[in-house]
Amino acid sequence: MIPVPSSGELAIRAENDIVVARRAVRDAATQLGFGATDVTRLVTAASELARNVFKYAGRGVMRWNSMQAETRIGLELQFVDDGPGIADVNRAMEEGYSTGGGLGLGLPGARRLVDELAIHSAVGEGTTVTLKKWRRN
Amino acid sequence: MLQTLADTISDYAIIFLDPNGNVTTWNKAAERLKGWTAEEIIGQHFSKFYPPEDVAKGKTELELKTAARDGRFEDEGWRIRKDGKRFWANVILTALRDKNGNLLGYGKVTRDLSERRRTEEQIHKQAQEIFEMAVVPVVQVWEGVILVPLIGTLDSQRTQQLMERLLNKVTETSSPVALLDITGVPAIDSQTAQHLIETVSAVRLLGAEVILTGVRPSIAQTLVHLGIDLSNVITRASLAAGLRMALNILHLNVVSHDSTR
Amino acid sequence: MNHAAISVIKVKDTLMVTMPSDPDDSTIAALQERVLESMERHAAKGLILDISAVETLDSYFARTVTETAQMVLLMGGRTIIVGMRPAVAMTATQMGLKLNRIETALSVDRALEIVDTPPKPSGNHRQ
Repeated sequence: MIPVPSSGELAIRAENDIVVARRAVRDAATQLGFGATDVTRLVTAASELARNVFKYAGRGVMRWNSMQAETRIGLELQFVDDGPGIADVNRAMEEGYSTGGGLGLGLPGARRLVDELAIHSAVGEGTTVTLKKWRRN
Repeated sequence: MLQTLADTISDYAIIFLDPNGNVTTWNKAAERLKGWTAEEIIGQHFSKFYPPEDVAKGKTELELKTAARDGRFEDEGWRIRKDGKRFWANVILTALRDKNGNLLGYGKVTRDLSERRRTEEQIHKQAQEIFEMAVVPVVQVWEGVILVPLIGTLDSQRTQQLMERLLNKVTETSSPVALLDITGVPAIDSQTAQHLIETVSAVRLLGAEVILTGVRPSIAQTLVHLGIDLSNVITRASLAAGLRMALNILHLNVVSHDSTR
Repeated sequence: MNHAAISVIKVKDTLMVTMPSDPDDSTIAALQERVLESMERHAAKGLILDISAVETLDSYFARTVTETAQMVLLMGGRTIIVGMRPAVAMTATQMGLKLNRIETALSVDRALEIVDTPPKPSGNHRQ
């Protein structure tokens, strides 16, 4: 598959935007030539993070960008919001940090699906989560 | 005269650049291949046809310099059409000089290799699949039974390949049992054991069962010493015993969840 | 709540639900509501959830389905998931998603066979 550089941005303002975000990531990842399982990983990670934006901040933005480094091709996703922020980022990334039954913020799970996940957040200052995943060939 | 010649060769985009790299002539094939009309492109710099990262690296200057120095420059790489789409091209830049040796400009012949590249990618993909098959074989040995004879250790990459192929096979064939045979695994470490457990979990999510076979005494010992908990996995010392178990499972009308070994 | 998106069919005292390919959060929430209503109305032996069309299984989906299975269990029934896609299974495993109290089957036919067999006393969980 011959990749085409792609980038975009979409607002996360309503619950349905979580689905819109999944579709956008599916399209971008597929276009960049990621295999089926990696596409699913990216879409699933995006779903977790888009939902976090909606649930904890009410509104925010998802941006995506293709990455190219020498012979490698990848996809970068960024989730930005002006919400309450995460008080203890380290704790949020710990396994088992949750408010009941699931993966809580879904962050530890999402991290395992991608190559890099970085969080910038502080109480009252909003949150930015950046994910990067490289194609495996 | 050059223009007429260029127009008659329709598969090759033949254009001319001035010494600085600006387009001076254009032919029909160039318009077809790259998208711009003559009016739109004449006078523009030829770096317009290159991906931004190549331009940033100074590729176009380097090409002109090399052609000027050596007389000719040939390259295969990505080029960009007017609509932004990339295509794989073979490009030859030729320095044109007058009888005194002064540089008049450059001739540039571009050939679209997309078709060839697609074929190459396909061949590469098939070779990859054949290689993967040799490295991680996944075979249906009986109706409803998939065998994976593992050889060597399981690193993350191999585990991914294994899981993908095994899960796809289980789904395609609707096989209730997968035999993961580790007879050919010389020694087991924590990583491989973890990957095996992950594989078992994933197959179970599909609704099939996994039997880990070829667990000989030394492996059993290592697993216990490493504190690996395989109590949730059905295991057998030999592949034969595993096959027998698989057939037992299949012959019952219902898949048994019996935990007896 | 998107009640219209989830249809619950009764097959031999068992509830069957086929999930659409990319359900939004309210559809997933509706699943729980509809299943509980139907469990009560039909006194069903269990729930078979066909997810063969589902492309994304994230922690919200997993949590809702797990809760539903817990409620179904309390009402005396079993929950069986059918048709998980390989890519989804791999992602779920890698994420560490736990689907407690949920059994799995390769097809609806096999799921129906399983439902007919009494579970082991200790709780017949594959996961």
